Amino acid sequence: MLSISGFQKAFEYIDLIKQGMICTLSLSALTVLFGFILALFLAICRLSNIKIAKFLATVYVEVLRATPLLVQLFIVYNVLLAGVSLPKFRIFGFIRFERFLPGVIALSLNSGAYLSEIIRSGIQSIDGGQTEAARSLGMTQWQNMKLIVLPQAIKNILPAIANEFVTIIKESSICYTIGVQEIMYGVNSIKGATFSIGEPLIIAAVVYFCLTFPTSKIIAYFERRMSRGDRR
Amino acid sequence: MATGDKLIQVQHVKKYYNHGAIKALDDVSVDINKGDVMVVIGPSGSGKSTMLRSLNLLEVPTDGSIIFDGVDITQKYTVGPDGKKKKLDINIHRQKMGMVFQHFNLFPHKTILQNMTIAPIQVKGMDKQQAEQKARALLARVGLEDRADAYPIQLSGGQKQRVAIVRALMMEPEVMLFDEPTSALDPEMVGEVLEVMKELAASGMTMVVVTHEMGFAREVGNRVLFMADGKLLEEGTPEQIFGNPQNPRLQDFLSKVL
Repeated sequence: MLSISGFQKAFEYIDLIKQGMICTLSLSALTVLFGFILALFLAICRLSNIKIAKFLATVYVEVLRATPLLVQLFIVYNVLLAGVSLPKFRIFGFIRFERFLPGVIALSLNSGAYLSEIIRSGIQSIDGGQTEAARSLGMTQWQNMKLIVLPQAIKNILPAIANEFVTIIKESSICYTIGVQEIMYGVNSIKGATFSIGEPLIIAAVVYFCLTFPTSKIIAYFERRMSRGDRR
Repeated sequence: MATGDKLIQVQHVKKYYNHGAIKALDDVSVDINKGDVMVVIGPSGSGKSTMLRSLNLLEVPTDGSIIFDGVDITQKYTVGPDGKKKKLDINIHRQKMGMVFQHFNLFPHKTILQNMTIAPIQVKGMDKQQAEQKARALLARVGLEDRADAYPIQLSGGQKQRVAIVRALMMEPEVMLFDEPTSALDPEMVGEVLEVMKELAASGMTMVVVTHEMGFAREVGNRVLFMADGKLLEEGTPEQIFGNPQNPRLQDFLSKVL
């Protein structure tokens, strides 16, 4: 049962939650960055005329979307990186790199698949006349993509990308299972020290809410502002 | 040039869809000479836009040849000046064919000036200042010098199409292709675009124009093609086509549009 004294006890270890917050945010930011680069590559492969690239990218996206993130995380940690001895150092003095990196890799691989679908739809939403105009001016396929299509597509999908960031903040909690010291790891440590789980869980929920709710509000604000710019 | 004053030779071009079930272009052959203002007319679905778009390979023909400046651009390879076989780079040839579209297709995320300078700078490697100077001069020519820093959305349809024309001119093309350039315009804006096209024709530019503007065809064109069902049915001077049409399809078409 929850109790005031239970919260008081839990708050004595609040530094663990603070560290967890820093870790969660770093994990999410890096995931969005690497996931986006991967997604861009996958989306371009799926839209290309090269059959083998198209096929491989499609298989990748379908497999990653059809298997649980937890399984993917365990495969990355226990199988892919099993033989690799990662350097053991601590980021910000507490985040263990050899746990953190597999977390980033697994989350990036996963969100790359989802983001690539967002980017693909963004690219496909651009009127074909844009490409025709660019190509008729002598631009190569790549120049057209880089200068004409992508800048317009990314502007259209920025809100969806930001939403993915919110999703990643929440999903990154799964990384506690491989010992990444994010928020849920902090909860577990507090449980070990105070012998009660309810209070740290409530604190964690509040912290997650405080991270994601303002983020989605900020996104909504920019969404309104950006669509305003599209009118005269 | 070996081909004389023939700029583009369209030879037996066919464009089939669904394995020949739909024949958008059914064996079309025509020569376009330097300085020609060739107007293509015909009912909708006659293949006139497909014909125009296959000239710069936006539409790749199923069969036949398009010979531009003596090079068959439908082939994957060509023979270089040294006599060696080399890969044909369609982008080089497209630079020399300006194209104007029904729906303008300006780049909405770029200003008018950027719309005009992006291709010369990126494709031809032109100096930015030089490109901007040239763009401003062309904008002045079509009366839009004060809109250089505006975005396409702030322009009227007629203004957009005038920008689209000078954007294509920035690449110094040898021929200008117009795909129904006035069909998406409000009636009061058609005139300003046709005026620019008339001036362009008077300056000696080779032009191929797909249009429903019969007045323009008659007044500015030196050759008129009539197409229907993917076939080129009649060709002649405006006087012949409008004054003495031979093909019954053309007679029927003219009775409806004139």
